[in-house]
Amino acid sequence: MKILQAQGLGKTYRRGGQVVEAVRQVDLAIAPGEILAFLGPNGAGKTTTIKMIAGLIRPDRGTVAIADQNPHRDPHALRQLGAVLEGNRNLYWRLTPLENLEYFGVLRGLSRTEARRSGRELLERFELSHKRDAAVQNLSRGMQQKVAIAVALVHHPKLLLLDEPTLGLDVEATQTVKGLVQEIAASGCAILLTTHQLDIAEALSDRVAIIRAGAVIAEQPTQELVRQFSGASYQIELEGNLEELLEAGVRSRLESQGIVMQGNRLFVRGAEALYEVLELLRPAPIFQVKKDAADLTEVFLKLVQES
Amino acid sequence: MKFPLLELFLAELRRTWIQFIRYPSEAIVGIFIIVITFYFLFAGASYIAGPDAGLSGASGSERLEVLVVGYIISILVISVLSTTSNSLEQEASTGTLEQIFLSPFRSLTVFIMRAFASLSLRLVIVGISLTAILLITGTQLRFPLALVMPLGTLLMSAYGMAFAVAGLVLVVKRVSQVLGAVQFGLFLLLGSPVETMEGWGRAIAFCAPMVPSAGLLRDLMARELPLNWGLYGIALANALFYLGLGFLLFARSERIAKQRGLLSGY
Repeated sequence: MKILQAQGLGKTYRRGGQVVEAVRQVDLAIAPGEILAFLGPNGAGKTTTIKMIAGLIRPDRGTVAIADQNPHRDPHALRQLGAVLEGNRNLYWRLTPLENLEYFGVLRGLSRTEARRSGRELLERFELSHKRDAAVQNLSRGMQQKVAIAVALVHHPKLLLLDEPTLGLDVEATQTVKGLVQEIAASGCAILLTTHQLDIAEALSDRVAIIRAGAVIAEQPTQELVRQFSGASYQIELEGNLEELLEAGVRSRLESQGIVMQGNRLFVRGAEALYEVLELLRPAPIFQVKKDAADLTEVFLKLVQES
Repeated sequence: MKFPLLELFLAELRRTWIQFIRYPSEAIVGIFIIVITFYFLFAGASYIAGPDAGLSGASGSERLEVLVVGYIISILVISVLSTTSNSLEQEASTGTLEQIFLSPFRSLTVFIMRAFASLSLRLVIVGISLTAILLITGTQLRFPLALVMPLGTLLMSAYGMAFAVAGLVLVVKRVSQVLGAVQFGLFLLLGSPVETMEGWGRAIAFCAPMVPSAGLLRDLMARELPLNWGLYGIALANALFYLGLGFLLFARSERIAKQRGLLSGY
């Protein structure tokens, strides 16, 4: 069962006499408890897609279903949706966190009592209870972002849209938000996350969808995608300088096999070559052997640049 | 939830009043500006007209009362218009506007509840300003119960205009300069006793937004006349037309804004 099912989404704008196809044939689906990182360069169509999902932009083509309800036709679908949108405060700065939670809870269809109860629980869960009566404008940027996420969750939505949730946060606040996102997903909420911080996307996401020029160019489980782009290269690190530890003959044999040597490291291509090199290195003390794995940043750059 | 609209209205009421009570300086400055502007208008008019055409004596007193009613009506209408468009512009730039459109309530419903909630605050501010003006100028106005009826139609027309402007904000984003010109026009229109006109001028004036209601208010409060039911019928038709037009334009603007992706990027 999928909480979000977006199929064939398309949006074309006409601006300044030009026709711009902002989004083309985008399909996205997210299951309960799953985090989908939706990545792409600036202007690729991420925000337009997110806003089409949220019912804020009407798609020219395709359909959106949140828990089987279309937010463009049935406003009740929005009861299943929470969103923290990029570059915005999403909150009333003159109100306290609890007042914001109460107001937005009622706006999402809860009674005041329900909104208040849910708000208090969220403030406690997000470790903000001690700030519940301080005006939002007096809170740190990290705390404001935590309140914005709490507000998006006050009505217990099944789908949470997080557009750049760690933008402008310091390291500590970023770690806190990362922890919260994992916790929210663990509670069964489906999350669509966009971020330019690819290390965060890699650490948090179950799946990745990469969009470029309005079209999705890759969509796979995160680790599978990273593995696919990881080469079969190995790095051997010795406990000392190669020139001191290895005889000249050994070094020239390694060179003849195409092994690259730098300082105390050797770079080997392929598993078979690795064992041959390890034989040649014996009995030099080895500090570590590791496989060169790509990270999401490399994968993202390769995909975006290649396409 | 048994009464979702009531819950929504009360939430809007709390939000409006909390923000006002927490930062009362803005409202106090607003009241001061309203009163001081009237004082200088009054003093300036007396000086320019000279003592012979003074605002004293029986006819002068009625003229002053008409002036006070016209001024206060203009202030109320302008504050309804500017508060709606300014808060919408502000909310668009801070991102809370998009959150409103993520509500399962129709946005028009949310903004109608907001209008009711903010009206309570507007009436208090205008009431305090009116009391101060009456004390400064020594003017006396009548406040008969029938006043509620033309006041209601005046506010219906004003909110119709406010919703039309709000729709414009959704599509063109910044309307402050256009609104300034509209406000000046309304100030002149509502401050002039057009109900005393004759012939075609009178007919045209009664088709203009809020004008028949403003005329009735002047009759009731300043001229001590009973409610003219014929004129009230015109005022009600005028109010329903402009309110309906405002709702229609707002709903249409929302559709355009969603179609063109204009609900963000302010």
